[in-house]
Formats: sequence, structure tokens, C-alpha cells
Amino acid sequence: MTTADLLLQQLINGLSLGAMYSLLALGFTLVYGILELINFAHFNVFMVGSFIAMWTLQMFGLTGQDVVMTGLPLIGVLLVTFAVTMTGSGVLGVVIERVSLRPLRNVKGPAAMITTIGVSYILFNLILLGVGADSKNFPNPLPQAELHFGDAVLRLREVLIWIVASVLMVGLWLFVQKSKMGKAMRATAQDPEAARMMGVVVDRVIVMAFFLGSALAGAGGLIFGLYYNFTSFIIGFTAGLRAFTAAVLGGIGNIPGAMAGGIIIGLIETMGGQFISTAWTDVIIFSILVLVLVFRPAGLFGRLAPSKS
Amino acid sequence: MSGAATTFSILLRPFARIAPLHRRRAGLLAITVAALAFPLLHDNDADIDAAANALAYATLALGLNIVVGFAGLLDLGYAAFFAIGAYAYGIATSFQVMPDWSPFWEPFAWLGLVAHVPGSGGPDQVHFTVSFWIMMPVSAVLAAGFGILFGAPTLRLKGDYLAIVTLGFGEIVPIVVRNWDSLTNGAMGLNGIAAPRLFGYRFGIDAEPYYYVAVGLVALLIFISTRLRDSRIGRAWMAIREDEIAAGAMGVNLVRLKLLAFAIGAGFAGMTGTFYVAKLQTATPEMFGFPVSVMILVMVVLGGIGSIWGVVVGAVLLQLLQSWFLQDLTQWIHALGRLIGMPLLLRIDLVQSIELIFGIILVVMMLYRREGLIPATRRAPALTFDQQHAEVRRGSTIALQGLGEGAKSPHPALEVRGVTVKFGGLTALKSVDITVPAGGVVAVIGPNGSGKSTLFNTITGLTHADAGRVKLYGTDILGLPPHEILALGAARTFQNIRLFPNLTVLENVLVGQHSRLRTGVLGAILHLPRTKAEEKRALEWVMEIVAVFGNRLMPRLNQTVNGLSYANRRRVEIARALASRPKLLLLDEPTAGMNPAETLELAEQIKGLHALGLTILLIEHKLDVVTNLADTVVVLDHGEKLTEGRPEVVRQNEDVITAYLGRNTAAGSAAFV
Repeated sequence: MTTADLLLQQLINGLSLGAMYSLLALGFTLVYGILELINFAHFNVFMVGSFIAMWTLQMFGLTGQDVVMTGLPLIGVLLVTFAVTMTGSGVLGVVIERVSLRPLRNVKGPAAMITTIGVSYILFNLILLGVGADSKNFPNPLPQAELHFGDAVLRLREVLIWIVASVLMVGLWLFVQKSKMGKAMRATAQDPEAARMMGVVVDRVIVMAFFLGSALAGAGGLIFGLYYNFTSFIIGFTAGLRAFTAAVLGGIGNIPGAMAGGIIIGLIETMGGQFISTAWTDVIIFSILVLVLVFRPAGLFGRLAPSKS
Repeated sequence: MSGAATTFSILLRPFARIAPLHRRRAGLLAITVAALAFPLLHDNDADIDAAANALAYATLALGLNIVVGFAGLLDLGYAAFFAIGAYAYGIATSFQVMPDWSPFWEPFAWLGLVAHVPGSGGPDQVHFTVSFWIMMPVSAVLAAGFGILFGAPTLRLKGDYLAIVTLGFGEIVPIVVRNWDSLTNGAMGLNGIAAPRLFGYRFGIDAEPYYYVAVGLVALLIFISTRLRDSRIGRAWMAIREDEIAAGAMGVNLVRLKLLAFAIGAGFAGMTGTFYVAKLQTATPEMFGFPVSVMILVMVVLGGIGSIWGVVVGAVLLQLLQSWFLQDLTQWIHALGRLIGMPLLLRIDLVQSIELIFGIILVVMMLYRREGLIPATRRAPALTFDQQHAEVRRGSTIALQGLGEGAKSPHPALEVRGVTVKFGGLTALKSVDITVPAGGVVAVIGPNGSGKSTLFNTITGLTHADAGRVKLYGTDILGLPPHEILALGAARTFQNIRLFPNLTVLENVLVGQHSRLRTGVLGAILHLPRTKAEEKRALEWVMEIVAVFGNRLMPRLNQTVNGLSYANRRRVEIARALASRPKLLLLDEPTAGMNPAETLELAEQIKGLHALGLTILLIEHKLDVVTNLADTVVVLDHGEKLTEGRPEVVRQNEDVITAYLGRNTAAGSAAFV
């Protein structure tokens, strides 16, 4: 392949991975914006989401990549799978909030963050003990439609990923900007006390943030499966850290920032992997995280949400 | 859990009559004897080996406890420092790195640091043979250096970002190890790491000598942790943990002390890393990943964040759980499964589920017992009814020598010139000028939102000013960090009280002394006569200050401040500011929330301080207090100085009355005057 083709190919790959990181980063940003909490459980909500998606597809009788569907049945299966996965992950997020975080709402210090690490570990090990350590073949009913640009290939799954991610992100943006609940969320992120006094039920806002964030993470998990054709108990950690970096890069608490940050991280991953070395991908991404935090703690685009100390 | 604690205290009841110091010494002696005698009484190499590993993790937990427990910095990549110490020793004793022999190595060979290996076919080579006993401190220093390197860029960040960045570093170090083949042998790991020797005795694969080294290491680190905790440095760490802003304002150099915690914690881990690979004689990148960092965190959380003995117990418990108890329990469950014919039970393997158990421990401890199995702070019993209602004795300021030093200065105590502060579009202070003469009392009044607290924050370095100058006794202080401003002699209280909630009254006030004491790490650990004398003087000074408030605080010295009444917390905050021997005391609404009798009492005490010559700048809403105390009143409104003058004059000023009560009432505001 020529360098131009390689660039184009890695651009396509990077945009797909980036869309996944964006969806995951939105969950970090939503929860951080409202609770100022880094939710480590989010890492493995994403992982559990990919398993929910796999099981849902298996219920349609799909096991590997050999059964190909087209037309309305394909759209139907995908819609149902996305709906089930996102609802399941969303509910998981809400349960985590309700059981393990709400009792710690007014506790200062790292208690809540330590709890999310614990929850993350529990999810990780439940899946490990439940389904085993080997990676699972992820069902993929998409037909092998491809477009060629020189040597670069654009597959149907990539187009699908872009469409789904765009729809979800635009939907989230409209929800946050236009709906009454969205306005309540924005108000709570600014000042929870004032929002409470104006009649916002802060607990409901927090539940909504967890539901939306986790549902998007679930969608990310489904996209992971469609993109890589496998899933495993282990995928949450690396993807989660990269997505967190994306959220910081875009300015944590900043919704469009998280979307852009995800795309940038996706591109850095594929371009770095192509032109430097995949062995150093995480080192590159963490160096970016540290540099951004030190020199532009508010992220590339955003100014920090006013601190609620 | 509290049930367990009750049982425990019942068991201890027969010993309650022995003096606490003797009880502690007897307990320590018993633990030491048990630790030393264990291998002699229980001659099972596998068990001794498990105990040695448990103790190695205890040293790691002690190190992480300094970072997380004392300084309150959540470090999720702690195993990275463990890896650095491990690989340092591994490279310095294995056959991984072997440069060609040259005369340059001759002196090192003479010192025994390298050996001359005749080349088989090729040139002669150098084999590093640095002694284990040299590498222990070297690894500690090396890891501490990396601690500073990793910490420096991140410590200005808020605590939760620190967690994620340390997590990142914790990932990077194993990646570097895996990819740097020539130095580390990559994913294969280092092999042939030398076992330690002592006076010709070779440590082999027998666990016993390692066990004794581990006991010594744990004892050393417990000793260091205890000495540090009870020193000026430990107090400063805990102040940072409890309230960073207040700690800075009370003279604690935040960056330096956080880095110190990071470096010492990393040093402990580096030392342990050397010990651990010397014992295993192999090192692979997998030994130092995220799960190890989490495991150490679980040990600290289980034992008690900040509790020295707690984290040791937590580490030993978890290790023994893994190596002994879970195996037995699994076999019992399997036996039960066979007995009642439930094949599901046969599939359970608790040793495999150890990480699941870690996760559950983290969540359960955080939800139900955040202070851990052995809490760091033992609460002093609350005062009895009689003690609380004892006669209120008036205090005195007679003993506070030296507080009036500032009054002799030829410069004004404070000169604020043209200070402007903007928050986005809002101008909080607009070119404000204020002069506080040395030895004077100036009160700042103004409606809410007029910029009074912003003025205080600007003077004490907490808020950035967009323009202007601030001079303290002739020295420019604008732009200096809070701890330097305190060291120059301006100490403050906060409008909404910023004490260190989980520290006692005594500890809170002692933190105020931080900038006046000199004890460093070595002094704190060695506890030299100089340190002892300094601590004694600090304590005496604190006692004199607390005596200013009569018997309000004295009986409560060892109570944590979160249990105090509102008025007493205000008093502790003033005492803490006074402990720094200020030349200018800034009081932000000192009598807010006090009843008239308490207000009167405090006003009298402030007057007593002023009589000694202490210069005071005061924000206050109660105008009778202002009239009673202040020589000069400055009125702020919407960030601008409205007027300035003697209290009785200002009270008649039309503009002031308008600002306070609104335009319409200005004409006949008898109520205000």
C-alpha cells in the first residue's frame, strides 16, 4: 500500500475506534460533570455491555460470522440488539449507582472512587468466572459489502458504526440541550445546591446520568464486538483508560469535547500503531493524558465546569 | 462489624487497668516475640514462605499508606515503584546486562560490585554482583526519585486526576519493561537473580532467612511510619488530606509535602521490590501490573486507611487468606457439595475468585466500615455532662509573649493598593486601597457579595489578583503562594470554617506551627534532642494559645474537631492562626453564629490580643463588635471602597446606610444607627 492509502485506511479505522471511544467517554463526562467522580465501574460496564450484545445476538441464532443477514431482518436484529444492550447496560449503571454510590454521596475523600474500583473488579471477575478467560467469538450478521479507495477498504460495518454513533451522539446532545431533564442535568452540573432549591430532583438527575452514560457504554461494547469480531472479560481496562483520556482531552464535563476527544484518541491509536509501533500505543496515549492535564487541565476545547468545593 | 469490635474490647477488658503506655509496650513485645519465634515453632517451609510474602506485602501496604492514608493522595499505580526496585536489583545481580571487560571496571571489581567473567570465545565480560544489602537502600532512593518524577507533573491536579495519572504510570512501567528487551529480557523476565549473602552465609531457597529479613523490614517501616506520623511532617500530610486549601493557608508547602509523601511511599516499594525478587530470584512484568496495585490498595482499605498497624494486619490477613484459608475453605465447600449432592458447589474455587473477593472487600468496607478493621483515630470519649457544664473560666493572653512584635515595625502592617480581581465578567474587587497600621485593628464591613472575603483571599494568596500591589510590613506578597505569605506573618481564619475535621483540637492548632518548626524527615525519624526540644516548645506555645479561650478548648484537646460546637470550632480556627505567631491576624467573621454572650467573650479575647500589640484585620457583620474593636472601618460595596474612617463616623455615613439598607430607608434609618 502507498502511504496515502495507508493514511486513508488508518483514518477509516481511527474514526471507527474513535466513535467507540467517544461513546464510552460520554459516560465518564456525564457522571464527572455532575458528581465530580471518576467512575471506574464504567470500564467494565462497557465490557458487560459487549457480553449482553453477544448474548442477544446469540438468541437470534447467530453464533459466528457465517450467517449473513440483509435488508429489514438485519436492521430489525440490529435495532433490537442495540435496544437490549443499551437498556441492560443502562440498568446496570443505575443499579451500581443505587447500591454502591448513593450511600456515599455526602462522604468526602476518595471513598466513592475506591468503591467504583471495587465494583469494576466485581464485574470483571464475575464475567471471568462466569464465562471463562478465553475470548468469545462475537456474532456478526453484516454482509461483506466493501468500497475500495485505492488499496484502502471501507467496510459496511464501519459505515454502520459511524451512523449509529452519530445518531446516539446527536440524540444525547438534543436530549441535554432541549429536554426538561437535560436542562436539569446542566443545572445540576453547574450547582447542585441551587438546582435542588429550584425543584430539580438531584437524585433523579444522577440516575439519569448513570443510565445514559452506561447505555452509551453498552452501545460502545456492541460496536467493539462488531469491529473486532470477539469479546472478552479483559477489554474494559484498556478501552476504558483510552476513553477516559478522550474525556480529559475534550475537557471533562464537556459533551462535544468528549465526542471530539474520542475521535482524536481513535486516530492517534491507529496512526501511532501504523507509523510508530503498537507496542507503545498506551505509552503515547498516557503521555498525552499527562501532558494535557499538566498544561491544559481544562482540555483542548472546554473550560472546566465551575468547581463545586 | 461493630459487634466484632465489641467482642474485641470485652476480651481486652482485663487489661484495662494497666497504664496505656505499658499496655502498648507489652503488646509490642508480644508481637515481636511471636514474629521471631514463629519459624522455630512452626517448622514448615511453605508456611514460612507464605508468611515472608505476607510481610513483603505488609511493607508495600505501609508505603502506600503514607501516600493514601497520611497525605490522602490516591495512587493506583503503586506497583510501578515495586517493579523499579525489583528490576534494579535484578539487573544489578543477574547475567542480563554484561558489558565487555575493560580496565575501567577494575576498581569496581576490587569493591566487589562486579566480577570479571572470562569470555567463552568472545571478549571477557563484566558480571554485576552488587550486594543485596547495598541495593536495598539504592533501590529505595531510585524508586523515590521516580516517585518525584511521576509525582511532579501531577501534584498540582485535583486528587481524582492524580488517581488516573498514577494508574497510567502504573501501566507504562510494565510496558516499558516488556519492550526494553536488552535491559529487562522483556516478557520472558529476568532469571538468575542472585540470592543475598550475609557474612559469607548464602541465602538459598530456604524461606527462613527471608522471613527474618521481612520481619526486620516491616519493623523498620512501622517505626519510620510511626515517627513520621507523629511529627511535623505527618501533621502536615494529614492537614493536606483533610483540607488542602486550609493546609496551604496554614503554612504547609503543598507541592513539597505531597512529593515527599510520594517519594517516601515509592522508596518503601522500591526496597520491597528488591527484597521480593531476591527471594524469588526471578522477575517478570506481570508481577507488577494493575492487579498488584489494587491488591495493595485493598490491604490498606481493609486494615484502615491511615492506620499503621491496621495496614500491616490487612496485608497479612489478605495474604494468609490467599495462601491458606481459601484453599481449605474451597475443600470444605467441595466436601459439602459431595455430601449433599450439589455439583454446583464442586465448581466453586475460592482461590480463583480472590479478585472478586478483593472487589467485594473494597465495596463493603467503603459502604459499611470506611475506617477499616483497626481505625487510625481512636475517638476520645465525649465530655461528661458535668465537664461540659463546668464553670466557664475566662482565659488570659498574658502568657503570649512575642505576638506584638509586628507593632514595632516602621512599616504599616498591610498596604493594599489598587487591587482588582475579576471572575470572568464579574469584577469582585475594583482598585481597592486599604492600609492597616502596625498594631492597629481595622474592620472591613459591607453587604454580602461586596468582596470582603475575596479581599482576604487575595491578601493570603488564595485568589489571583488582576492588578494592584499588596505589601506586608514592607514586603510585596501579591502572587506568593499561601504558605509563604503565612510564613511572612499573615495568618487567617475562614468565613465558613476550614478546620481539619478528623484531627484533634491539639493537632489542628499544632498544624498552625508548621512554618515555625524546622524538623525534616531525618529529624522526625531519628527524633534527635533538637527535634524533641522543638516539639516541646511547640506544644507549650499551643497550650498557651488554647489557654486564651479559658476552659472552652482545654478539656477538649484530644477530641476531633468535627464533634465540636460551632463556636468552639471558630475558637480552634483562631487558635490555629495564632499558633503561627502571626504579625497580622485576618479574621473572617469570627463571631458569626455565636450567641451574644459568646460574641462578647470572643470580642474581649480579640481585644486582649490587640492589647499585646497584635495587628488585626477583621471582617464582621455585628456592628457593635466592630465599634467595640476597630480603630478604623473600611466599607466595601460591589467591590469598591465606599468610605473609610472611625466607626462612629462611618455609621452616620449616608452612602453606607444606603448600601446596607437600600435607598428608601436612607433618610430615617434610626434602626441602623
